[in-house]
Amino acid sequence: MSEVRKPRDPVTGHIKALAKGFKYLIEPNRMTLDYPAETMKLPPNYRGFFTVDDVKCIGCSMCEMVCPPEAITMVPRIVGSGGKTLPAESAPQDQKAAKRTKRPVVNWGKCIFCYFCVDVCPVDAFRPTGVHDVAFYTDREYRPTYEEYLNPPEDPYKSSKKVVSKADKKRGVSYEPAP
Amino acid sequence: MSEKVYNLEEAATLSPSGEKYIVLQIGPSHPGSGHMRLVVWLDGDIIVKVDPDIGFVHRTSEWLSERREWIKAVPIVERIMLPDTIHANLSYVLAVEKLLGIEPPPRAQYLRSLAAEINRITSHLYGIGIFGIFLGSSTVYMWAFGDREPFLDLMEMLTGARITYSYIIPGGVRWDMPNGFKERAETVLQYMERRLKDYEDIWVKNPVVQARTINVGVMKREDAISLGVVGPNLRASGVYYDTRKHKPYAAYKDLDFEVPVMKNGDAYDRLLIRVEEIKQSIRMIRQILKDIPEGKIIADNIYNQLNPVMKKVYEEKRRVMFPAYMIHLRPPPGEATSMVEAGRGEIFFYIKSTGDKYPYRFRWVTPSFRNLPFFTHVAVGHRLADLPAIYGSIDYFPPEADR
Repeated sequence: MSEVRKPRDPVTGHIKALAKGFKYLIEPNRMTLDYPAETMKLPPNYRGFFTVDDVKCIGCSMCEMVCPPEAITMVPRIVGSGGKTLPAESAPQDQKAAKRTKRPVVNWGKCIFCYFCVDVCPVDAFRPTGVHDVAFYTDREYRPTYEEYLNPPEDPYKSSKKVVSKADKKRGVSYEPAP
Repeated sequence: MSEKVYNLEEAATLSPSGEKYIVLQIGPSHPGSGHMRLVVWLDGDIIVKVDPDIGFVHRTSEWLSERREWIKAVPIVERIMLPDTIHANLSYVLAVEKLLGIEPPPRAQYLRSLAAEINRITSHLYGIGIFGIFLGSSTVYMWAFGDREPFLDLMEMLTGARITYSYIIPGGVRWDMPNGFKERAETVLQYMERRLKDYEDIWVKNPVVQARTINVGVMKREDAISLGVVGPNLRASGVYYDTRKHKPYAAYKDLDFEVPVMKNGDAYDRLLIRVEEIKQSIRMIRQILKDIPEGKIIADNIYNQLNPVMKKVYEEKRRVMFPAYMIHLRPPPGEATSMVEAGRGEIFFYIKSTGDKYPYRFRWVTPSFRNLPFFTHVAVGHRLADLPAIYGSIDYFPPEADR
């Protein structure tokens, strides 16, 4: 390893460093995204916000049990009575599903997006939305009711230009318009 | 470097009005890469004594993990070493697997090594970047942090997250390599190889850097061994020890790689060794992408417990869902240890199970904690202006040391 360590002649060293700096001054290796005018379309397996399929869910509480930060609460889903959490008109027609009475709700302030709940679900009822850039303005918004949880936060930058990242031999990361 | 011998007891007993040494408090608000305080006694600008005051970011990871189900410790240990999460995850899971007696399939072993090597590159780039800003070069700081991006994108493609991957579970890994990963990884590696040449010109072989780091903070070989420092810092002092070679885990016994060793043990060697390790990691990632065997990514006894819905998801998306067994892991009574070579050095895990649903004892020693002697032993005798070079060169990460 001694050849790696050999001190470089100061004059050549400074000139080389300056030349490299100058090269990147003229031709910068920029990989910054012009956020939020451009936002990323996240890959399909991205671990962002997620919601639960009301019909598929069987209310087994496995997600509540596995959640490491204890962000998931099982709430009663009272059907037909106006409901504490879900009004009757949005109840599923499937009577069998309607009888199962517990549903998960995620506290977004606690959730760490490890997706243990998504993976432990025996019926694969969780649905990732691919949304990530959401800001909450009040404490209340962190803690959705079940009804609100069924409609998870929407992408606030829907109108901005969507790009996907691509590996680039020259610049490391480059962006191209999302398909 | 001053050879004068100082009487530290005298420094401690002197009254504030008649004190001989200046006591300088560096920190605790984020002096480097996290909250910690260095209390430095100075004679003029010669460092007489350094007392690292750690614990500002102690996050009770052991306490928390002893009061939760076994699987819930995976995200906890990750949050301790954020630039290096895969290694924390891997070392914990290896210990749990020893207790459970599960052996992951070969493809999972390769994927673990792949994730670990990508993570090692991002961890070293993080270290190089922080070293850069310590010596006042914002260029290399921006470059190194920017060049983590292609690798973080790779990890995002593999695991769905950028930093906290939670990728490794007892029995295997959670996601298989997606389509197009190999091509993308190869492009990124070519990019990084080219960039390493740029780094050499602007940073590694820059005469300013050489002037500030050569023969600064020398840790002699014998001292490094007796003080128990680990990782690249140990190898920079001339000790050939790497857990990947000496106690291979994951796929390392099948991989062909060298362990870079330097002999001078100064700050410059510690910088060089990180650059050399990035080169070795690139070499290993290429081998893994070429040699990775086909097959399952989860051990059979976990796979057999998946229900039909989960098996269908596994076949379609190559994503491992958790059987209920994963929540209720109850390893048989016993003890297990594991060692993993993380970016900053060796992680040591000790876990004791009494057959209960929580670990009875959860103990881990992180590399940054074991690299603390650099402050107390190496900095003494240098000028104050050399302290950033020493701190930066050991790639010390306070949250990791405090656990």
